[in-house]
Amino acid sequence: MTQETLFLKNTETFAESLARCGVKYHFAYPITPATDVMKRMAVILPQYGGQMMQMESELAVSSALAGAACTGKLAATSSSGPGLTLMHEAIGFMCAAELPCIVFDSMRVGPGDGDILGAQSDYYVVTRGGGHGDYHTIVLAPSSGQEIADIMPHGVRLAYKYRAPVLFVLDGVSAQTTESTTLPAYNDYSAEFDTSEWAFTGTKDHAKRALITGSYTHQDGYEMNEMLRAKYEVIRNNEQMWEQEQVEDAELVVAAFGIHGRMCRDMVAKMRAEGRKVGFIRPITLWPFPDNAFEALPESVKNILVVEMNHGQMVDDVRLAVNGRVPVHFMGKTGGDQPMHTLAEMITEANRILGE
Amino acid sequence: MENLSSKYGKTLNLDKLTSYCPGCGHGIVTRLVGEAIEELGVMERTIAVVGIGCGGFSHHYMDIDAIEATHGRSPSFAVGYKLAMPENIVFTYAGDGDTCAIGLGDLMHAANKGMPITTIMVNNTVFGMTGGQMSPTTLEGQVTATSVKGRDISSQGYPLLVPEMMQSMAGVKYLARESVDSPKAIRKAKKSIRKAFECQVKGLGYAFVEVIVPCPTGLKMRVKDSYERCANEMTDYFKPQVFKDETEQGDVA
Ligand SMILES: Cc1ncc(C[n+]2csc(CCOP(=O)(O)OP(=O)(O)O)c2C)c(N)n1
Ligand code: SF4
Ligand SMILES: [Mg+2]
Repeated sequence: MTQETLFLKNTETFAESLARCGVKYHFAYPITPATDVMKRMAVILPQYGGQMMQMESELAVSSALAGAACTGKLAATSSSGPGLTLMHEAIGFMCAAELPCIVFDSMRVGPGDGDILGAQSDYYVVTRGGGHGDYHTIVLAPSSGQEIADIMPHGVRLAYKYRAPVLFVLDGVSAQTTESTTLPAYNDYSAEFDTSEWAFTGTKDHAKRALITGSYTHQDGYEMNEMLRAKYEVIRNNEQMWEQEQVEDAELVVAAFGIHGRMCRDMVAKMRAEGRKVGFIRPITLWPFPDNAFEALPESVKNILVVEMNHGQMVDDVRLAVNGRVPVHFMGKTGGDQPMHTLAEMITEANRILGE
Repeated sequence: MENLSSKYGKTLNLDKLTSYCPGCGHGIVTRLVGEAIEELGVMERTIAVVGIGCGGFSHHYMDIDAIEATHGRSPSFAVGYKLAMPENIVFTYAGDGDTCAIGLGDLMHAANKGMPITTIMVNNTVFGMTGGQMSPTTLEGQVTATSVKGRDISSQGYPLLVPEMMQSMAGVKYLARESVDSPKAIRKAKKSIRKAFECQVKGLGYAFVEVIVPCPTGLKMRVKDSYERCANEMTDYFKPQVFKDETEQGDVA
């Protein structure tokens, strides 16, 4: 497949980007607003010599994903909150087992079966591991179709470099936006990595290998956790990503990801035109959280406003990052006919804080 | 200790002592699985996907790659593996609790998909590893740590007949229930397990063998008594038989 510019729903862009970056196997179970990914994968993967397999539940989805990952080949899945909850059994397993894969969460309103409208309700669950035990998954939060396409090679490389599941999250609004995107030419980025060192391909290739996440001795459990601790330390130190603008002399910094992060660009341009000293930080990695961006804020910053499509989840990480140095305000909502704040509402709140 | 590999071939690794309790049926089934793999000459491309339970240790006694799956999900792990690496031979090995309590959904859908995968279910009618609790295959009236007055079918249901549930699935090409209660039964079990692997080697479809075995520890019985129970009460209800054998098609590739 060559590079081409298409007018696509971002879920479809996600599927195209997966396939063009080397994903061969996709396992999924239908759920709004993520179903378009599996639908497109069903059509396009055979063209790449792969296959989309519909499973009977998200429990089976993540288990099959783990089974495929054991071969060293690149596999992926796509879902939304209720499905992601079920998938956490095998996502945690893959973290312990050090298996690479790509997981996509098109976030909708939760908890319970919630609502199919877009939300950012899964920030906690994706950044805190999600299942039992001390683990994290790398979480990437692109905010447009183009960013999905541009960041996918990096996502695949992270999965193989750290041998771990990489999660992509989009609020369902961004996920269902239709826009022009330039898709990359086909290149299997997982092929840059030598999987023969660890993949479970049979004793024709190596001496017996066994994938064991349970402890046989108490020392095993300790060592697995220390291995993960060291890995997460490296990731925290090296893999933080964010976008920022006009922070250098700002009095107020707005922090948001996904669709609200994208809106920050317009918000800051508008407010700057009115002489307001506003900047923004848009986290691209939600885990590791871009602490460095907040630690480096200049003295001029007197307030931070966090905007989310939930009741305040990422705001906790912002508070931890500034550690009391700067007051942190929050605005957010979830559910309803308009499950997010408008640009006008964001500007009103920013002006209110600036006028305090 | 004498190295038994020369006698049993390369697949079985009997250099280490097994983790099984004395008299445990897993020991026999593990050996039969190892022998089937050895005889078919597929050891180097065979992957064990084992469940959680006492059978999870089985792969340690075979020199093949192995994946210890999450509890009950080995059939789904196997489906994902087989899709990505169809040239390899994938089998799941787990107890009755793993296979038909927590993992029944995964099992039925994997079987119904009809991919060439082999499943060995080792039914000892209890959760052995966690200390002898009731499982879906616990017999009517059987006393366990969690059915202290005996399994009451009015609320706890009847013991689950798993291969019978698969009989109508066209994608299942070999389907049998065997027992290890006597040398004769073991010879029959050996044949069925071998066929279940052959079915996959020929690429025909899903193969399933349930093996009725004793768990002297979980049942709190003497070894001899536990084998007698296996030959009587257990196999009276779980009747050993070959339900389906469509393995005569195709060649061993
Ligand atoms: C999700 C989950 N639930 C429960 C357990 C605890 N557990 C370990 S083994 C087991 C039962 C195993 O019974 P069975 O499959 O019959 O195997 P056996 O030991 O009898 O061979 C249970 C419930 C677990 N490891 N994971
Ligand atoms: S508890 Fe039962 S199943 Fe487990 S090893 Fe002992 S005898 Fe075998
Ligand atoms: Mg059991």
